[in-house]
Amino acid sequence: MEISKTSTGLKGLVSPDTVSTEVDIHQDGVTMVKSLCYFCHANCGVLAYVKDGDVIKIEGDPNYTNHGGLCCRGTSALLHVNHPARINHALKRVGAKGEGKWEKVPYDQAIQEVADRLNQIKEESGAEAVASAGGTTRTDDWARRRFLNQFGTPNGFHNALLCWIPTFMAETCVAGWSPFETDLASAKCLILWGMNPGASTLGGMDGYTDLQKNGLKIVVVDPRYSETASKADLWLPLRPGTDAALALAMLHTIIYEGLVDWEFVGEWCDGFEELQEHVAEYTPEWAAPITWLDADQIRQAARLYAMNTPGCIQWGCTWDQIGRASTTGSHAIALMRAVCGNLDVPGGDGMPGPSMGFLTDEEMELNECLPEEQKAKQIGSNKFKLTSWPGYQLISDNAKRTWGKTLPTEWFCEAHGPSVFKAILTGDPYQVRALIVNATNPINSYGDAKMTLAALKKCEFLVVVDYWMTPTALFADYVFPAAGALERPTIVTHYGATDSIMGGRRAMQPKYDRHTDMVFWRKLGLACGQDPANWPWETEEEAYFHILQPLNLPGVECYDDFVDYYRQYYPPLHQNKFKTNGGFWTPSGKVECNSTILRELGYPGMPTYIGCIENEIDTPELAEEYPIVLTTGGGFMPYHHSEHFQMQGIRYLYPDPYFSINPDLAEKLNIAYGDWCWIETRRGRIKMRANVEPEVHPNVVFAPRGWWFPERDGSADLDNPFGCLESNVNVLTSVDDEHCDPMGGSWANRGLMCKVYKCGEYDKEYKKEDTQFSIPGSSSEPGITVMPSDQKLAREPIPFEKPQPAEAVPEGYEWVWQNNSLYQKDTHFRLDESGWLINPRTKGYHDAHTGWRYDAANECLVDDETGKMYTMEREEIVFAAGVRCYPGQAAPFEVPENLTWNVEAGYATLGDLPYVYDPNSGWMLDPDNGAFHDANYGWLYDAATGHLVDESTGKHYDMSYAPVEE
Amino acid sequence: MTRYVMVIDQRRCIGCHSCTVACRTWNKLPLDIVYNPVVTEGAQGTWPNVHKSWQPLLCMHCENPECVPCCPSGASQQDEDGTVWVDPKKCLSCKVCVNACPYGMRDASHLEDRMHRFVRKCTFCRDKRQLDPDAKPYCVETCHQKARIFGDLDDPNSEVSKLIGSVKTERLFEEFGTDPQIYYIPELGGKA
Repeated sequence: MEISKTSTGLKGLVSPDTVSTEVDIHQDGVTMVKSLCYFCHANCGVLAYVKDGDVIKIEGDPNYTNHGGLCCRGTSALLHVNHPARINHALKRVGAKGEGKWEKVPYDQAIQEVADRLNQIKEESGAEAVASAGGTTRTDDWARRRFLNQFGTPNGFHNALLCWIPTFMAETCVAGWSPFETDLASAKCLILWGMNPGASTLGGMDGYTDLQKNGLKIVVVDPRYSETASKADLWLPLRPGTDAALALAMLHTIIYEGLVDWEFVGEWCDGFEELQEHVAEYTPEWAAPITWLDADQIRQAARLYAMNTPGCIQWGCTWDQIGRASTTGSHAIALMRAVCGNLDVPGGDGMPGPSMGFLTDEEMELNECLPEEQKAKQIGSNKFKLTSWPGYQLISDNAKRTWGKTLPTEWFCEAHGPSVFKAILTGDPYQVRALIVNATNPINSYGDAKMTLAALKKCEFLVVVDYWMTPTALFADYVFPAAGALERPTIVTHYGATDSIMGGRRAMQPKYDRHTDMVFWRKLGLACGQDPANWPWETEEEAYFHILQPLNLPGVECYDDFVDYYRQYYPPLHQNKFKTNGGFWTPSGKVECNSTILRELGYPGMPTYIGCIENEIDTPELAEEYPIVLTTGGGFMPYHHSEHFQMQGIRYLYPDPYFSINPDLAEKLNIAYGDWCWIETRRGRIKMRANVEPEVHPNVVFAPRGWWFPERDGSADLDNPFGCLESNVNVLTSVDDEHCDPMGGSWANRGLMCKVYKCGEYDKEYKKEDTQFSIPGSSSEPGITVMPSDQKLAREPIPFEKPQPAEAVPEGYEWVWQNNSLYQKDTHFRLDESGWLINPRTKGYHDAHTGWRYDAANECLVDDETGKMYTMEREEIVFAAGVRCYPGQAAPFEVPENLTWNVEAGYATLGDLPYVYDPNSGWMLDPDNGAFHDANYGWLYDAATGHLVDESTGKHYDMSYAPVEE
Repeated sequence: MTRYVMVIDQRRCIGCHSCTVACRTWNKLPLDIVYNPVVTEGAQGTWPNVHKSWQPLLCMHCENPECVPCCPSGASQQDEDGTVWVDPKKCLSCKVCVNACPYGMRDASHLEDRMHRFVRKCTFCRDKRQLDPDAKPYCVETCHQKARIFGDLDDPNSEVSKLIGSVKTERLFEEFGTDPQIYYIPELGGKA
């Protein structure tokens, strides 16, 4: 990178006349605001010092999980806010697409123009012709789904499939929720599998290091000798992409060496014998040649995990980035945890479940607005069912029956991103005409970059919301400026899938014409004609307070109060919930070793091995031409995904893309440190510089993700704008349907076969041929050779015949085949043998006819919507002055002699006085004001003096009716 | 008396460069100046028997600094608490001190106007400590791994005193006789 004198890094440089460069945070007028970092999912605590509405300094919050630490990205937040390359105004394209000619337009005007165009497309081609791409969870995604649902399109998507979602769904099929909350303080052993917190979530890494000192054993599974592996107790350097084989072999070892938690398995697991039989063939000896590990290494790891319980397995991104073998691996790992008894126990992997206190994201999404026929049109849902409407519906209905609440549809129920890009290019299954891209740069972050770039170029109407002019934004019709770190409040609920919440305040109002994503979706929704009643919150603070309100936290009257006084909220009971619940949250109530939901979707109910997309064993002819294994997609400091390449203060640390290559291999290929090399798969090639270092196997190369060159002129080369293909590993990845995970749809970043060669004197430029796309991905045949609908999946669906109920299902109920029970359709309450409905959240009984809750203390029914109470005969209970009345009945209690029972009103009175006798307290109550009166004389009780007052005379009496002298 | 020193726990350092960036951000450094780089030789050994460690560097704030007595203008100086710093108002940018430092830890920026150049170096965030005597340098505060520990060696209860007294520490180029005051706990010194 050129370092020029006009560069922004020099602005604000200290002049030699000033001695101090220090910003004084103790000066008058400075306030401290508790904020959260917004540059990765770790969301570290940040203290922002604000003066006159501007943040003058930030530091890590010492009282937050990061203990005052901030990484390169967090520290640069102020440079980010004020960076001269930020987009600050709504931009409307005036030249040709990609030409880079823009007109600044007022934000609201741009919104209205976009809305009009979207409505027009909806009218002409249906709402499904509008899709939306998202990136990572640094947006308020419920707001996007709220917009999409009301608009009527099912085609929202994120990079969700590469990040946790398929794993979450498989784990939920096994045990009813993802066990993702590690309880490390009480754990003896931790497996960091395909995860490198030493470069991706630094806030967590220091905790691991501390606990290791106290005896926690850390196993790292990573093909690269990562920052984290360098601190591990046991490092398993497997061949990239073979995690499923390793997981299956570890599961085999645990079961066949008898290391399972027999008590747990006996009591809480269903189908263990089947599983035992199923994994019989997956021996460590079978896995050794696949994983390039010794059988003994695999056994050692399995024993270490199974014999040191309780233990945790931390989810790692890798699980979801292996393509067709992804979910198989995470499914096997889910079972490994279960048979070792590590689910939801102290020191194990906690299953938080949906929030029972604050509102879940799902409750903010208005999913009921999306018609059934639109759900069916979701692109990719006929193929990758686990993470789209078919699978989501089964999992979500089950969650409502077991937890009482469910997962958000954002992330967990989305269109298949690459299939949407293919639909833009091919019109198959239908033409997608408009795409709203929010907080992502798909060319660099989605698979098959060349195809994605072509789709974005071809897209009829492209709208981008971003901080920067990315290669994607370059082709947009409208670009909207996004407000980022410090300019927005933050709420962290882990994709809306947990019961704890963390928050940070907005430190300053968004600068220029920047707006947050929630405001963008709200304005767009209103401009599209959506009901204003569905968009009641003008700011995030209002919406977040609405989310938090059900918690009724003392002293919290607005969102900022929550941050100031609480900042984090964890519900009280957090572990062993399956015991108090009386079972796991699966249809059968047990950990399902042979998942019924997966089988119902046409997938194997037990993890069944499938190799990663390209490997020496399954595709030997390919391995001959492309003999080296490529792994990519991992996080590395100082960047996050495809971000921060503009930030000079960071970029100087890592100015060029470097891939890691073992010295043995480098010597063979005549490559020296720093040489520019081509990395080529059968889909294309990219250029990177060689980092010759034995951190990878002699037949593996590791290439970093996300690279593009914002310092270049994007419009100068529209085949490769901003060099977005040149060093972009996603040119090498495949999104062909048969390479994607047949369950979750994730595509492969790991374990690809490639060749590496030095850039030659006549072959060092990225040429036009290098940029040509193809469907399916192949650099030898550019163009569309197989239509998406004709592409095969990695695994054919397994036919499943759903059992039929023995008796007719009553109206309004549905029958669940797994436990042969009836559930009320709307509420998802179970119909008990007693004839009552059972609420899964409270375990309380409800009347099957009216839905009213049974109140055992008062022996009555309560309608929680109106608050009214009813007798067991469903007759409304009347109250007067808060006292239950029995109109038309004899007195159910002994009425004192001096009182009369008023049969018509149903309560006892004293003479003509209008007061109501309360048998519980023995006092008469005034229906007008609730005041207490004595039951003998009707005198008013005066709480201030403790006297009884005869109101007609004004005389005071004590409690034994003796007059009191004034 | 107060004697500020830094202990660097290489058992904990993971090479994230947060300290480098925090330092350059808050000390407003030109792009060609780095006070505290984190260096590594990469993984060492033969796959898979490899090992990797990172070495954070900074001015050693020597007890007998070479860079102070050689300064012709008196700009390069040392405080009583051991902090070695350069007064930009007095500095002529003659770079005698740059050549004198055996650790290569000071330089003037080439991006600045030649007439206004001055020699820059780590000052243990002297400006920050002047505003708030309890403050720690930015590189220490920002370190997630708590691999940099700053404190007063003359205070027997300080964390640095306890560490230096209890674990094996090393100093760089002790043989030069400058008595450097940055203490390293080497990577292979047991569990952090």
